[in-house]
Amino acid sequence: MRSKGRSRFIVLCVAPAAILFFIFMVMPTFNVFRMSLFERGAYSPTETFVWLSNFKVLFKDAKFITSMQNTILLIVTVTIITFFFAIVFAAILTREKIKGQNFFRIVFYIPNILSVVVIAGIFSAVYKPENGMLNSIFSLFAGREIMVLWKDQPMVIVSIIIAMVWQAIGYYMVMYMASMAAVPMDLYESASLDGAGRLKQFFQITLPLIWTNIRTTLTFFIISTINMAFLFVKAMVAKGSSDVALSFMYNQKDAGLYGYSMAAGVVIFLFSFLLSALVNRVTRRDVLEM
Amino acid sequence: MKKMLSLLLASAMSLSLLAGCGGAPQTPPAQSNPPANGSNTSQGNTSTPEPATPAGPIKVAALSSGYETTYPGMWQEVCDAFTAETGVEVQLTLEKNLEDVIGPSMQGGDYPDVVLLATGREKGLTEQFIKDKLMTDITDVLSMTIPGENATVSSKLIPGFVGTNATNPYGDGKTYLAPMFYSPCGLFYNAGLFAEKGWTVPTTWDEMWELGDKAAAEDIALFTYPTTGYFDAFFYALMYSVGGADFFNQATSYAEGVWDTAEGQQCFDIVAKLAEYTAKVTPAQANESDFSQNQQLILDNKALFMPNGTWIVGEMADAPREDGFQWGMTALPAAQAGGAGASYAFLEQIWIPSGAANVDAAKQFVAYMYSDAAADIFLKGGAVQPINGIVEKLDGDNVMFYSIYDAGASAVVGIFSAYESVAGLGTVREVFFDPVNGLVSGNVTKDQWIADIKAASDEMRENLV
Repeated sequence: MRSKGRSRFIVLCVAPAAILFFIFMVMPTFNVFRMSLFERGAYSPTETFVWLSNFKVLFKDAKFITSMQNTILLIVTVTIITFFFAIVFAAILTREKIKGQNFFRIVFYIPNILSVVVIAGIFSAVYKPENGMLNSIFSLFAGREIMVLWKDQPMVIVSIIIAMVWQAIGYYMVMYMASMAAVPMDLYESASLDGAGRLKQFFQITLPLIWTNIRTTLTFFIISTINMAFLFVKAMVAKGSSDVALSFMYNQKDAGLYGYSMAAGVVIFLFSFLLSALVNRVTRRDVLEM
Repeated sequence: MKKMLSLLLASAMSLSLLAGCGGAPQTPPAQSNPPANGSNTSQGNTSTPEPATPAGPIKVAALSSGYETTYPGMWQEVCDAFTAETGVEVQLTLEKNLEDVIGPSMQGGDYPDVVLLATGREKGLTEQFIKDKLMTDITDVLSMTIPGENATVSSKLIPGFVGTNATNPYGDGKTYLAPMFYSPCGLFYNAGLFAEKGWTVPTTWDEMWELGDKAAAEDIALFTYPTTGYFDAFFYALMYSVGGADFFNQATSYAEGVWDTAEGQQCFDIVAKLAEYTAKVTPAQANESDFSQNQQLILDNKALFMPNGTWIVGEMADAPREDGFQWGMTALPAAQAGGAGASYAFLEQIWIPSGAANVDAAKQFVAYMYSDAAADIFLKGGAVQPINGIVEKLDGDNVMFYSIYDAGASAVVGIFSAYESVAGLGTVREVFFDPVNGLVSGNVTKDQWIADIKAASDEMRENLV
């Protein structure tokens, strides 16, 4: 009797989330797959079944291939750079005695709460060709006027990478700081008694013990990079100059190709799904207990 | 007891969640309005409304553009005047990002009755309605008597604004979009700088290049553009000035071999040469967040000309500028000495979706737009309609801008014909104008650009609607 009531309670608790998840996640995803087999305008009530022809054109579309390349480039570079800095900063802020630790933590975290529009505004001042922050600093050190056109080819993708890394570091840094703080101090103490230096401690103790956390955040990060790249590209740079997968998809919708755009959506969905699974597999290690 | 409480709480939570997501569809569905045309959505343009449709409230969706900023409340005032004249209530939706607001609800089947949204915008919503034939035929509005006046709509319209593919997209003599506001586009410059340097505004492209060399000697670039989107008006005028009306019509309908003609080649030559004379920073700033810095180049005397429209004066009103700065505007130079320059009349259209519930009242509303009362209200915001005699009512900078056609420039009206969306085929802007950024920075060659245009143009022709 008691357990029956309990399970009913659990069902009731889970139901709202499950229903919402079904309506707003499962159904739309299913619809994306269905619509990718049709061709229709965004507002047109008629749709024609075209089987896989959307996908056939898609894989030959040079623009789509470029946009996928850009996406992969961003995922790889932004992930590596962000994780490197996030872990290093987190290690420094938790392990070393630095004045104003909290201050740094807040400063690094702030970009994460800014909206992309604000970030785009900040970076349009940073990247401004004349009197922009970056170019002014470069000119100061070079002793002559340097004018890098940040948002023009070929630098445009670099500009996006810098902005995305800047935006993401703080969030992941705070996450790693939390898990690093959970590493018991006596481990470090005994390691230093055994003569292990700071670096050795980091690689032998800190990194293995927060590995589960890194794995989880890595999967988060890949999915969020695919999404954030779209926002950054849309807000920061000229249309068509460095399209990523999602902005390609979005542009197709504006061109009145709903089915085609959904076909791109299917490819992106499968791509991010497989990539997350792959990353999850590759990073699998035996979990160390503290 | 504790369990009961938590059960209660959980169910309250789930209820409130469900109530939250049920909020959106509370507005009555479109069908609750007069149902006469409800079944017509799929046939689109064939809808001929029942005359018995009761004049219920109509939903008007209008783009909130620079005109509304100049004179806030402009649209509401017009709608109120319409209600006072005809007794038909108006629900106004006025948004800067109109596509994002009405788009989703239209996908859900809830259509406004009247939409003011031009072709040539980035989201291309109007183009999609043209392609999918989802607009109501409003040819009969032209012969309607304007509410509160004795004149018909067509008797007040300036000739030439109706009949191009900007209003009759299918070339079958039927009008689907009414011409609402027009604004001459041209090259904007600092008249003060020209007076100071003793330069004259070029009337031919040869003079233009000469001026470019002179200006380069003083570290001033000849040309800049806000974003590549501003090339559409520029290119229309260029095509017209180079090849006249015939070439313009052929080119805008992607006639076979039109880009291989001497005129076609000349258009490409001019744009490619202009790219060489363009301020080098331009492509780096030709995006949504930085384009005003390109416009600032004109105010700072770092570039001489930019293509733009009359709204630029209001848009840059608060921007810092060089001493003695004064806006000047010229038509595009003539292709040969003695030829006529050309200026594109950027046209904003008003149209009725075929899904509209209240077509009769919507048509009345469109007709009312051409009444003197409405035109006067719009003029307060600087919005000029193609109505006979409107030019006499203008004041300020607009007098100079709108007199551009009196000064001998050909008025260019019309747009690239609509074509069926084909997967892999870009929009006109993507194919024709976006690569200009690459031409300026040097990572797209002229030959590549032309080859892409030719290939795309062939495909567009095959898919004309």
